[in-house]
Amino acid sequence: MKTVSSLLDEEWHKRYKAISKLNIRSSIYDVTNRCNLRCKGCFFFSSDEDKVAKEEMDLKKWEAFIDREKERGVNLAILIGGEPTICLDRVEAFYNRLSTFCATNGLIKVPRDRFPHMAVGISLWGDEKDEKLLRGKDTFSISSRNYEGDPYAYYLYTITPKQIGKTERIVKRIRDVGLKVHMQLLSNDEGVEEFFWTDEELIDIRAEMDYMLDKYPDTVISSKYYHEIITTGKMLNRTFGWEECPSVTETIDRRDPRPKRLIGFIRWASDLETMHRCCTSETRDCSTCKDGAAHMSWVMVNKRAHIHSEQDLKNWIEVYEMFAKLYQFIPW
Amino acid sequence: MAKDLTNITIRIAEIMINELKLEDVTPETFDPEIDLVDEVGIDSMDLATVALVVQDEYGIRIDEDDYPKLTTVRFIAEYVQERM
Repeated sequence: MKTVSSLLDEEWHKRYKAISKLNIRSSIYDVTNRCNLRCKGCFFFSSDEDKVAKEEMDLKKWEAFIDREKERGVNLAILIGGEPTICLDRVEAFYNRLSTFCATNGLIKVPRDRFPHMAVGISLWGDEKDEKLLRGKDTFSISSRNYEGDPYAYYLYTITPKQIGKTERIVKRIRDVGLKVHMQLLSNDEGVEEFFWTDEELIDIRAEMDYMLDKYPDTVISSKYYHEIITTGKMLNRTFGWEECPSVTETIDRRDPRPKRLIGFIRWASDLETMHRCCTSETRDCSTCKDGAAHMSWVMVNKRAHIHSEQDLKNWIEVYEMFAKLYQFIPW
Repeated sequence: MAKDLTNITIRIAEIMINELKLEDVTPETFDPEIDLVDEVGIDSMDLATVALVVQDEYGIRIDEDDYPKLTTVRFIAEYVQERM
């Protein structure tokens, strides 16, 4: 029987031990239905998730809710929205109780005196031209000023097909403001013309992502196995989709057979009662979903399937490490 | 009693191999001390699958809160024996 010890040398075994006991139990929270941007392709607004539930305004109710989440076993709160930084009192309620990651467009600076170590992921949708087209403004010029040199912040760079051949300039700009970057691919939920991926473009961007990782290893937080999976939708000869996705809200997961999944995962709407189907849009076609966290989690929950060969297990470790770094369970 | 534990241990290993489709191992060669989570990659969903069969076969109840303690085939066998 293949075991971890039989497949890994001492160095890799040490890396494995550093992550094997983390036991991350995440859930996702819509902190607010409001945002200070209207981005084309944002799943939250394109699928009317902002209208699904009435936002809870009572901070005490948020605090009691978060306490219940903690009791339920959640040890990582992933805050999305809307724009969470519009409601910093709610963000603080999470931060004071749980390991917290805050997704933001970076236009409002998270005050570090209130949130000294909170993980912050700043969304970026390409270069100035793409950002203006998809988001109405070049957010990088503002967010990079707000977070320059921040050791707990990184850019979540959503690459569009228009970015092929241009990612190095973006990565260098991020490096030059002293931040890290993690790459994922646009799912194009709103069907913006010329932003659909072709098979050839996915092959090209995978090679480019690999190149960025090789050339800027201190800036790019990623792994080549993740690049393979996010661009091909394949893992160990299996295909990503509804039948395989690990990030479906557990309480409404009626899939049979039940795939490996995130234990206890729920995506909560901002009324603190409504649960969304999954980590992203309910209207999204799962077969073309490019959600980075869902693909990472897909690898992570399938550990046993990767205890098959030395390379498979190393791939699994690298993806787990990447996730653990992005959510600050281990240092960069 | 010792023989019972040996039999239970081998049967638990057999259930595990069959239910989880583990390769290159038999109930007799399955190391009962091996850490199932750390070394074999078994997770709580796998354990729940195994627990269902074990519960039916031995007429006991395995509390989900006890899963974190059931990290080896030996521990599972002892847990079963205590409740039989």
